[in-house]
Amino acid sequence: MLTLLWLVPIPPLISFTLISLFTRRSRRLSHWVALAAAGLSWLGSMLLFAWAIGQQNLANDPLTTAINFLPTGDTWLQIGVLLDPLSALTLFFVAWTILMIFIYSIGYHNFGQPAGAHDLPGLPPHGVEVAGAHSREPSVEPLYSRFFAFISLFAFAMFALVVTDNLLVLYAAWEIMGLCSYLLIGFWYARPSARDAAVKAFLTTRVGDMFMLLGMVILYTITGTLNYREILANPGVLGSLATNISPVLGLSWAALIGLLIFAGTVGKSAQFPLHTWLPDAMEGPTPVSAMIHAATMVSAGVFLSARFFPLITAGWEQGHLLTTPMLVMAIIGAFTALFAALIALGQRDIKRVLAYSTISQLGYMVAALGIGAYTAAVFHLFTHAFFKALLFLGSGSVIHGMEHGKLATGDTADQQDMFSMGGLRGKMPLTFYTFLAGALSLAGFPLLTAGFWSKDEILSSAFNGNYLIIFITLALSAFITAFYSARQLTLTFLGQPRTPSAKHAHESRHVMTLPLAVLAFFAIVAGWFGVPEDFPVLGGVLPNFIGEFLGGAHAAETGHFNPIPLLVSIVASLGGLYLGWLVHRHQSAAAVDPLKRGLGVFFTAFEHKFWVDEFYRLALIRPATWLAEVAVPWIDLNILDGSLHAIGRFGSWLGSTFRRVLDIPVANGVPDGAASLTKWSGGKLRLTQTGRVQQYLVSSLMLVVLAGLIVMLVLNG
Amino acid sequence: MIPLSWYLLVAAALFCIGLFGVLARKNVIGILMGIELMLNAVNINLLAFWSYLYSEQVNGLVFAAIVFAAAAAETAVGLGLVLSAYRRRGTVIADELDTMKG
Amino acid sequence: MMTWVLAHLITLILFSPLVVGLVLWFIPVRQVKAIRWVTLAGTLIPFFLALAAWARFDSASPAFQFIEQVPWYISLNASYHVGVDGISLTMVLLTTLLMPLAILTSFNITEKTRTYMQLFLLLETAMLGVFVALDLLLFFVFWEVGLVPMYFLIAAWGGKNRNYASLKFILFTMGGSLGLLLATQMMGMLTGSFDLSVVTEKWLALEGGTLFGLPLKTITFWAFVIAFAVKVPVWPFHTWLPDAHTEAPTAGSMILAGVLLKLGAYGFIRLVLPLFPAESQAFAPWLAALSVAAIVMGALGAWGQSDFKRLVAYSSINHMGFVVLAVAAAGAAAGTPDAHIAMNGAVLQMVAHGLSSAGMFFLVGAIYERTHTRDLNELGGLYAQLPVYGSVLTFIAMASLGLPGLAGFMAEFQIVRGTWPVFMGATAIALVGLFFTGAYILKALKLTLHGPLPERWKKLTDLNVRELVVVSPLMALSLWIGLWPAGIMSLFNLTVAALF
Repeated sequence: MLTLLWLVPIPPLISFTLISLFTRRSRRLSHWVALAAAGLSWLGSMLLFAWAIGQQNLANDPLTTAINFLPTGDTWLQIGVLLDPLSALTLFFVAWTILMIFIYSIGYHNFGQPAGAHDLPGLPPHGVEVAGAHSREPSVEPLYSRFFAFISLFAFAMFALVVTDNLLVLYAAWEIMGLCSYLLIGFWYARPSARDAAVKAFLTTRVGDMFMLLGMVILYTITGTLNYREILANPGVLGSLATNISPVLGLSWAALIGLLIFAGTVGKSAQFPLHTWLPDAMEGPTPVSAMIHAATMVSAGVFLSARFFPLITAGWEQGHLLTTPMLVMAIIGAFTALFAALIALGQRDIKRVLAYSTISQLGYMVAALGIGAYTAAVFHLFTHAFFKALLFLGSGSVIHGMEHGKLATGDTADQQDMFSMGGLRGKMPLTFYTFLAGALSLAGFPLLTAGFWSKDEILSSAFNGNYLIIFITLALSAFITAFYSARQLTLTFLGQPRTPSAKHAHESRHVMTLPLAVLAFFAIVAGWFGVPEDFPVLGGVLPNFIGEFLGGAHAAETGHFNPIPLLVSIVASLGGLYLGWLVHRHQSAAAVDPLKRGLGVFFTAFEHKFWVDEFYRLALIRPATWLAEVAVPWIDLNILDGSLHAIGRFGSWLGSTFRRVLDIPVANGVPDGAASLTKWSGGKLRLTQTGRVQQYLVSSLMLVVLAGLIVMLVLNG
Repeated sequence: MIPLSWYLLVAAALFCIGLFGVLARKNVIGILMGIELMLNAVNINLLAFWSYLYSEQVNGLVFAAIVFAAAAAETAVGLGLVLSAYRRRGTVIADELDTMKG
Repeated sequence: MMTWVLAHLITLILFSPLVVGLVLWFIPVRQVKAIRWVTLAGTLIPFFLALAAWARFDSASPAFQFIEQVPWYISLNASYHVGVDGISLTMVLLTTLLMPLAILTSFNITEKTRTYMQLFLLLETAMLGVFVALDLLLFFVFWEVGLVPMYFLIAAWGGKNRNYASLKFILFTMGGSLGLLLATQMMGMLTGSFDLSVVTEKWLALEGGTLFGLPLKTITFWAFVIAFAVKVPVWPFHTWLPDAHTEAPTAGSMILAGVLLKLGAYGFIRLVLPLFPAESQAFAPWLAALSVAAIVMGALGAWGQSDFKRLVAYSSINHMGFVVLAVAAAGAAAGTPDAHIAMNGAVLQMVAHGLSSAGMFFLVGAIYERTHTRDLNELGGLYAQLPVYGSVLTFIAMASLGLPGLAGFMAEFQIVRGTWPVFMGATAIALVGLFFTGAYILKALKLTLHGPLPERWKKLTDLNVRELVVVSPLMALSLWIGLWPAGIMSLFNLTVAALF
């Protein structure tokens, strides 16, 4: 089992290497390698999961082992693997969703279709001429193998993140996933919007990552280890972290580290204020949105916070005041849930609605963790992965259907705009029914769907814990969630087709609809294993497997059954669904968005995402760009180089002054002066040389007389 | 006897005349004549002293003889130079022979 | 024979490039191919010898090994004293690895090839000399000698602004070294010897003394620090670097960034920390502040560039800032496990940055050769035309960014871990710099590779075999060190522990 745990992440890594280096040219070979790898990891995960649920008390006695990795003086930092309930459950849904998405991608990228004559690498394929007819068919993606290489690398990182037993490897896998997200959002890199979205995703999550790195470093410094068991399962360590105060804002070390690690979650799981990258990430191909931005990578953020739940709740007991990180998480989670749900109301693009929906649902999970409802949060993580992946893949199928229609008719409608769709229920029945299952699950349709059970548990925990503001916020969000789910369903599938593309849409290939069916199954059934025991009538029919499996390590949270949150949940869900259907059911092609009419200026705010992006651009990006493009170069060129140049100029000035003042007058001047003096005196003396003998004689006579006088008078006198 | 001083005076006068001639005459030959006069004046001086003071020794006589010889030689050479100079420069005026002017 | 080779291993490594350089004089100037291949072989000799040294190196002993000592100036007590410990051997390996790759890159130099190659070989000897010298005078000689070939390389084979850049480089670095020379001389006089072990022992025992009214040791400390700070470079002494790196020929930039900057860092580790423990501790906050400035200003400076090569140059300032930060932390907390981890990270960062920056400069050179522009606003969409180049660039860029799994991350992680307990604020600000590292790397990738492909780049050719041979070892090593840092760290881990 331990070996299997080590091996689970490896097949996709091998697949990535093989595809990148060897099988790039063959599309079939590439996707089979990738599929085989995903299948192997899936198999390993299922075996491990089956083994795990058979264990007693896995939470306190998990499967784990480690090896020496980094020498730090006399000691070593170790890395290894860990299988406990959280990672087992996560492995289950990660393996399933990844496998389904890999299969789906084959169809999504139109494998089997001819290559388009005008398709360029880096741009989405735009169809190939059909011989004879005046229409076009979808063409295969030019960079097909590259896609499978990248999603394999991503799968490796995700599996590694789930099975590891320490924060260092988690961070490493986290960053690699960030890289894959960047590469995959920017898969169609020749599109400026995709290119920019990729950078935005990477950098926004990097903000969170920097905080997380700091938290990790602090944790390592204080405890000397990054192993989960040694920190989080050790009451002594947790206790000392909770009681010792850090120099930052009077927080305890546990609170500080908890907040810093939560910052990583805020980035990765796109919570406010680091949520802006996720909607833009919809630039990537839909399987990417499904896998990375719905089921797995964004789940990793919640997974991290769930993993560190003991640290975040260190020093907290049921019924008492929340610790600082918990309070922050509850507030941010609940706020994000409502905030994103409202924005989802104002979106027209089918994928954007789902993106904001993801942010909103992640907010639910974060808020649940924040109020101490660990089991509820992880349960919702589990169910959400399935139905959100399903919804995204379903939307991909819809978009494909629309593209079919668009290529067939030459229509110019936007194939992702819900207002261009309509009546697809008849054209794409399989997609419709699976999408219905997903949408109802998202809306929390009572009793039947998985989403209901997990969402209800969160609402109950909030209500039972007396966190009324959280409860009300989440309940409101539930209502809005149901409303926009119905809006999406109605506009897309019900009514009449509004454009030629919709009219000529047809169902997707089996390789795409099969994964949808599998995920729909889970979207409905997965919740049935989490029914609380004291639920009226249904409780106890199926064991509350999830509660028992997960809850082993934590005190009983939900307590006794209370009908009020259940009622609120049902009302929000059914009411929202009904209203959503009611408002949108008669949408015609030319009419304006009914919500726009109804909500007026609020709708504009929702549509414009509350202008957060614009605010960031003004408040953060522009000043930073100014710093980088203006201020720093100015300092470098004018001040620093300026000083250097000034020194240089001073040196030159000094040199030339010395030359002017010393060299030329003195060092040159003196010898020159001596020479000219000699010349001058020579010139003057030469006048005595007249060449006339008699004058020479006269002068010699006079000099003799003079000399004689001197001798006589001076020397002898 | 005629006093020695008379001879010396004559010699001095001759010398001065000769000196004057050397210094003041324009013609080179005149200068040479002046030089002769000075040499002869020296001779008179020499012989006068010899005769009156050292007549038993032969030094003065020899000295005078050498002076004569030197004077003669010098005159010969001088005249030869003058001739050569005249042929070269066409003049015997001392002031015009100034090619050694600096 | 073998024993003689082993006994003189360091001298052989040190002078074989110089000897090959002299041999080149016998090859006629016109035989360009012969010159290139002889030089390549000549740079591979010290590489293999260095590998042999590694194989025979005893990692369990922190002492200097492969020592050779021959008296030089007897009256000054200066000798030709060379040897390696874990840290210097790591640097020697890095240098001898990068040189053949640089020579291979230089296969496209067609003018005055022989002189070019000879200058490079002289440069290699000088750089290796700094790393293996165990005598202060010898150290200084090699330090200064290394400047001359670099000056000529930039001035004769460089870009448009080469005269300004080369002059700035040599004058600035030499100016910084003035203090080093005077301090070295003073130390030599006061301790009676230039040999490093003797000087260390006697200098540490020396008390008091003033010069111009200031404590003697403080002045010598700052003299040393400024000389090395100019070389590393530490903000604000960094302004020579963008010009020199940008104007140098591709191989020159690779070596400048890959090795020459490490000379300064090595100086800090080998000389400043052991010789001035008290001053290092006292002035560590200053050094930490300056290194954080280097990290942040370097990152911001890189982000604001539109010249690809200049962007990479500023990235060097950003990465080396981490090394100096670790040095400051080690100085402030000498002897603690934190200092040890920080120094481990520093040495690893020197290696990691050597690999990634050499790779980046190489790739910039590769694209310049094809497009004749370095302006990021002119490039774009190249991934579609040059997929292999694009993948390689993304890989190396991620190494530069510090992606876990590649060398840079483990280094930066250890540095941050080691510095945090000592300088909390500095660490936090350094992480802001690390964020902007991501920004400029992505900017470079975005403007080069992504976006629509302009018409004029539609005929470019992808990386050829020679270029792949240059960059593959860099990628492979980066990956190996990233996944298994213990492999290279085993070489210097104990040496670092023994530094304090």
